[in-house]
Amino acid sequence: MKVRFPLILCLLMGIIGMVAYYIPHRIVQNFDNELRNTALRIIFAFSLVLGVGSIIRHHWEKIKRKREFWEYSYVTLISLFLTAFIGLFGGIDGKGLIKMQIGKFSFDIHTIYVNMAIPLGATMFSLLAYFMASAAYRAFRARNFEAILLLIAAFIVMLASVPPVARLIPKLPYISEWILDVPNTAAKRGMLFGITLGVLSTSLKILLGIERGWLGGK
Amino acid sequence: MVSRRIIYLILTLVILIPLLRPFKLKPLPMKPVENLFYYINNMPKDKALLISVDYSPDTEAELHPMTIALLKHAFYKRIKVGVLTLTLLGLGLAEDALRTVVKEFNERAKTREDSIIYGRDYVFLGWQTPPLVPLLGMGESITKVFPVDYYGNRTDTLPLLQQIKNYRDVGIVVSISGSAIPMWYVTYAQTTFGVKVGAGFTAVSAADYYPYLNSGQLTGLLAGMRGGAEYEELVEKHFGKTKRRKATEAMSSQTTAHIMIIILIIIGNIIYFKQRRRK
Repeated sequence: MKVRFPLILCLLMGIIGMVAYYIPHRIVQNFDNELRNTALRIIFAFSLVLGVGSIIRHHWEKIKRKREFWEYSYVTLISLFLTAFIGLFGGIDGKGLIKMQIGKFSFDIHTIYVNMAIPLGATMFSLLAYFMASAAYRAFRARNFEAILLLIAAFIVMLASVPPVARLIPKLPYISEWILDVPNTAAKRGMLFGITLGVLSTSLKILLGIERGWLGGK
Repeated sequence: MVSRRIIYLILTLVILIPLLRPFKLKPLPMKPVENLFYYINNMPKDKALLISVDYSPDTEAELHPMTIALLKHAFYKRIKVGVLTLTLLGLGLAEDALRTVVKEFNERAKTREDSIIYGRDYVFLGWQTPPLVPLLGMGESITKVFPVDYYGNRTDTLPLLQQIKNYRDVGIVVSISGSAIPMWYVTYAQTTFGVKVGAGFTAVSAADYYPYLNSGQLTGLLAGMRGGAEYEELVEKHFGKTKRRKATEAMSSQTTAHIMIIILIIIGNIIYFKQRRRK
């Protein structure tokens, strides 16, 4: 029953989810709306609890067993609890249940967002520029015909994004658009068809209980 | 071989100097950007523009100017605007974009009619999760999915949302994202309700979106900093000078960085061929 019940539930929910797209009848549509607007939100709220629970357990285990980089787990856990505390009791602007203001400085979610989330996120993403520059220099070699084609396409697309060059060679942006619109689209579409077919078959396998990885492989 | 440290140092200078002292650039608007601009520009007066701020702070530099340019365009044309986000970290950025643009317009306004007023000209719906709920739910009723807005007002009391009830009243949804969220709008909102969709995304994702543009599922798109700069160019061309053009300003750094990367690739290949000949 421990395995059969989740499998039946999965099949049932999958069918209900699909049926709404094919039967426009009011009863089916209303049921689908109710399921989506109410049940889905409740399930999502539970998944949040599950997510927070597993992140705490994972990092706590790491600290306990002193696994590699265990010190950073303290940073994660302290940040998690501190942000949750401020969010729950301080509110968005520090005017929640507990006043989080010292003089004019308000220690609230907005302050954390502006002074920590934004600079940290921007720093992580901007590091990409360095990796890309270094990788382009080290790895982008005209080793064979395919690599030469890739190199030419990359040069055209990159140069077309440089406004002075695009003004100097007016045809360049159009060639770049053509590369993205024709050969790129053709290749991407082929990949998309493949991916979609894969997703469809995996979904069917899950619904029919053939693929049971989500049940712990039972 | 050139040391990695030297490459990093040169790149820092190449990005930093033009960022502090941007040079004058005139981006050439391309068809995908023009398509989006003119679609919004010619939208019927009773239709709204829905902007989905689906990016987080990591892609702010590249995507935030797009949101600002779209808002400016809409307010110049007096198009009604609804702003929402499907990513939690997009809330602060959406609020910042609205605050910046509304302040710029209201500083210039002389009468109440000229001003941009919350609830009348724009609304900030906030964030809803899981994404499937707002994506499909807005096809039936926006106020049902978002009973209260970001500021805690009941949405059914806002004049704008008494006119804009669901996707039928929306001219186009523009999703600006560093991930695949614009495709979700195509998959769920457009396929089910037929609403027009536009997209703004980082330059590295450009290749992923062209099939959707080619098939007509995306009305137009803004790819990376260049897309934002091209949109700013069109807004300025049609409505006159605006306070700041962040994407165009940042294009100076991107231009020099691109040229540097091209030079690095050429140097790398020269060294490679020399070594191969020696062997």
